[in-house]
Formats: sequence, structure tokens, C-alpha cells
Amino acid sequence: MNFKVLFSTMKVQMKQSFARPMFRFCLLVNPVVNTILLYEMYRNSGSDNFMAYVVLGAGLMALWGCICFSSAGDINRERYSGTLALIYAAPAGFPAIILGKIIGNTLMSLVTLCISLITAVVLFRVPLHLENPLLFLVALLSAIVTFITISSVIACLLTLSRKTELYMNCLEIPIILLCGFVFPVSVLPNAVQFASRLLSPTYAVELLRMSVNGCEDPALFREKLLMLFLLTLIYAVLSAFLYKKIDRRVRIAATLEVS
Amino acid sequence: MKNTVINVEELKREYVKRGFFGKTKKVVKAVDGISFNVEQGEIFGLLGQNGAGKTTTIKMLTTLLAPTSGTCEVLGYKTFGEEKKIRSRINFIFGGEMGVYRRLSARDNLRYFSNLYLIPEKVQKERIESILKLVDLADRADDLAETYSKGMIQRLQIARGLINDPEILFMDEPTVGLDPVGARMLRDIIKNLKADGRTVLLTTHNLAEVEELCDRLVIINKGKVIAKGTPSEIKGHEATLEDAYVKLVQEVTA
Ligand SMILES: Nc1ncnc2c1ncn2[C@@H]1O[C@H](COP(=O)(O)OP(=O)(O)OP(=O)(O)O)[C@@H](O)[C@H]1O
Ligand SMILES: [Mg+2]
Repeated sequence: MNFKVLFSTMKVQMKQSFARPMFRFCLLVNPVVNTILLYEMYRNSGSDNFMAYVVLGAGLMALWGCICFSSAGDINRERYSGTLALIYAAPAGFPAIILGKIIGNTLMSLVTLCISLITAVVLFRVPLHLENPLLFLVALLSAIVTFITISSVIACLLTLSRKTELYMNCLEIPIILLCGFVFPVSVLPNAVQFASRLLSPTYAVELLRMSVNGCEDPALFREKLLMLFLLTLIYAVLSAFLYKKIDRRVRIAATLEVS
Repeated sequence: MKNTVINVEELKREYVKRGFFGKTKKVVKAVDGISFNVEQGEIFGLLGQNGAGKTTTIKMLTTLLAPTSGTCEVLGYKTFGEEKKIRSRINFIFGGEMGVYRRLSARDNLRYFSNLYLIPEKVQKERIESILKLVDLADRADDLAETYSKGMIQRLQIARGLINDPEILFMDEPTVGLDPVGARMLRDIIKNLKADGRTVLLTTHNLAEVEELCDRLVIINKGKVIAKGTPSEIKGHEATLEDAYVKLVQEVTA
């Protein structure tokens, strides 16, 4: 892995993404709107810490939106601008380039969390606590890593098939619901909860919430962190496997270009 | 001594189009058993009507597409299976307004691609400046590519294709959209590459260009070679290469 390739791709990616109005909307406007809506929903719910559901929920929703519409859609954008073939055949290696793009996008998308925080503070002046900053940092870092591996799997599938973008657009809302971005997963029916348990963002969200509310049970935190780690590892292995597979498939199926 | 850098034998490529649920299957024979080879230092032309299979052939040569069958070797390596040994030593330019990052400047584009070609920092700076001058983009190098004209984007593409100082440069209709001065600039670049011992394989619909540049060429039609040789061999008794070309194509389609 060449770090120069990684960093220059991140930089180029951020420049390009930010130049797109749709991305700016997802990044800057979405979290504000989400925060306002969630605030109105939670206002009378009796929950007193808005940080956990309003700020985090709104920020994560917007973050996931950025990933769905950007990290994923980027492959198609490259395909339609004729640069997918170029980066695919570059000596730097396609996986390294894709990873750089995804990391760049994901890091930039973290702005959504800050914006929903600012919105909540400025508009609603609600009491916000972050009980355990250190655990929050751990949870946030693991969340970032897991989002990166998920994006990587998606990017892979997109390289192989143009239709993936359609599926991606359909996935945005279900993941928000399944992974409990805006409400605890425990309110879902059991069968659905089972699906939630297979998705790593579920654990990431729970960890973030635990660290915000104050973690009374360190063992539980560790357990969830371990699950998150395991699932992330599985996704990472899956994406590495997929990249190996698609490397041949795309050239046989001719999906690098639009023609 | 001759040094064959491109070797194509009985090369075929089919595209399979599937209908809903994969029930109906339609096979397009885009390249249907072509053979030719190119020596180091040659400028080689690949000619043919729209849909003849030129771009498909170039994609197979540039490791972007897998052959269905046949031999496809560049610099002695298979383009499908040994592509890693080839990629850093070749480059390709596809005509039209594709293949650059429009939201980056020309300089940023070139800097980025030189990183992707793993070119050392020291070499990069000098090379980028000299290439920008070469394609006459130096004074607009810091403007975003989306503000460029069609021909300027094409020049940027050419610049990108030179970024790794390739041993073989593949060009698919590189003069599309260039003004006469730009087209001459490109022809000069191609001649200089040849003088440097580099190999160029290009497709074009401009037969005057072929006559001026190409050492040898093949004409393909519906995926099959219908003529090969030097421009004067193909011209034969006809007045121009264009006459000869039209006659050849009409003969096979009649
Ligand atoms: N991805 C694809 N899927 C299906 N068919 C394709 C694909 N790409 C090309 N073809 C078909 O293969 C044939 C050869 O196309 P190709 O692009 O190689 O022609 P060409 O010689 O480059 O033509 P032109 O002069 O118009 O650029 C055409 O019939 C085309 O429709
Ligand atoms: Mg073509």
C-alpha cells in the first residue's frame, strides 16, 4: 500500500466531492434538517439527553446518506466520466485508489456530526452531555472504520455492476432503521432484530450511545466493541475477496465503461 | 534487429447481451479473429468503419478487457493475466471529452495521475511542466478542466497519456476535436515519440493523417482484417489512401 497514492486520492476525492452540489447538500443541509425533525419528534418523549438520539441520530443519518450517495455513487461517476478505466489500470492498484476515495469521503462526511451538534446547540439550547469522551473516541473511530469497510464492499459491487447504484439508493433508509440510528434496536420485532445484529453499524451506534449516556457496564461495552470488530473484519475479508474476484470479472463482463 | 512489442493472433472478443432474467442471449462478435504485430518504434494504424472493433481491440491491448480467445501480448506479456507487468510501461488516450477529472485543474490532474503511476516526486515536477508546455496548456494549467474547451480537454488527455513516459502509447481517435494547430501538435508529438524509439498504435478516421504518420496499418471490418501493410502498399494504384480504403470497404460489404 502506497501512502502517497492514498493521500493524494483522498485529497482529490474531497475536492471533487465538495464541488458537487448534491454532496454539499447531504453534508451541510441534511444534518440540519435531520436535527430539527428529530428534535421535534423527541421533544415530548421524556428523554432528557438529546445528544444520544437527536444529535447522534441526525449526524449518523446524514453520514450514512453521504456514504450511500457518494462513496457508492462515485464509482458510477468515474465510469461515466471515463476515468474508471484509467484508475483501474493505474500501476498504483485499484483497491488502493478506491480505499483512498472512501477514506476521503468518510472523513469529510464526519462534518455532519459536527453540524448536527451545532444545530442542536444553536437552535434548541438543549442540555447536551458527553459522559465519557474517551469511550466516545473509541466508538467513533471504530464506527469510521466499519463504515469504510462497508463502503469498500459496496464500491466493489458497483464496479462489477452499474445497477448497484439503484440498490444503494434503496438501502439508505432500511439501514437507518435496522441499525437503530434514531431509535434503539430493541423496539424492533425479534426477527428484524436478528438482521440488525448482523450489521456492524448497529453496534457502532450502540457504542456511541453508551459513551454519550455514560457507560455503566464496561463489560457490555467491550462485548459490543468485540462484535463490531468481528463484523468489520468479516466485511474487510469479504471486500478483499471481492476485489480479487472482480479484477477478472470486470474485464470479462466489460463493465469499466458505459459503451 | 526487430523487436516485436505487440503480438496479436487470432484475437476474438464477443460481447454477450442478456435480456431479462438472462433468458434471451445475444452475442456480438466485436473482434473476430484478427492478427497483426507491431515492432518497437513503429507508428501503427488501426483503421475501420464505425463499429469495426477498433476500440475493442485497443481495450484488450491496454489490459482493460479480457479477450474471448486468441493471443494478445504487449511487451511480451499477456494483457489478461500478466497485466501488472505491462501497465506501468504503457499508456492510452481515448478521444473525446472523457478521461480527465473536470473538477481539477490540468496541473492537478497531471499531478494526481503521476502519483497513480508511482512517479517519483523529483521527476514529477519537471515532467509535468514540460508536458504542459508540450501540449500548449501551460497558461491555463491552473484553471479547472471543466472550463476548458473540447480541444483543451483533448490536449489534457494527451498530456495525461505521456505522464509515465510510456514505451507504447495507444491512441483511440486522438485528433477528435483538435483544431488544425492542435492536430499538427499531436502529429509532432507522435513523430517525436517515434524518434525516441517509442511505439504508437492509433486509430483514426483521418486518412491523410494515416498517410503522414503510419509506418504500417491494418484495416478491419466487422471484426476481421481486410487489409494490412504500409500505406503505399494499401494505396496500390489508387490516387489516394482514402480511395483505396473506400474501395476495400465497399468490396467486403457488397
Ligand atoms: N460494452 C459493449 N457491450 C456490447 N457491445 C459492445 C460493447 N462495446 C462495443 N460493442 C460492440 O462491438 C462492436 C465494435 O465496437 P467498437 O467500439 O470496438 O468499434 P470501433 O471500431 O471502435 O468503432 P468507432 O469507429 O465507432 O469508434 C460494435 O458492434 C459495438 O456495438
Ligand atoms: Mg471506437
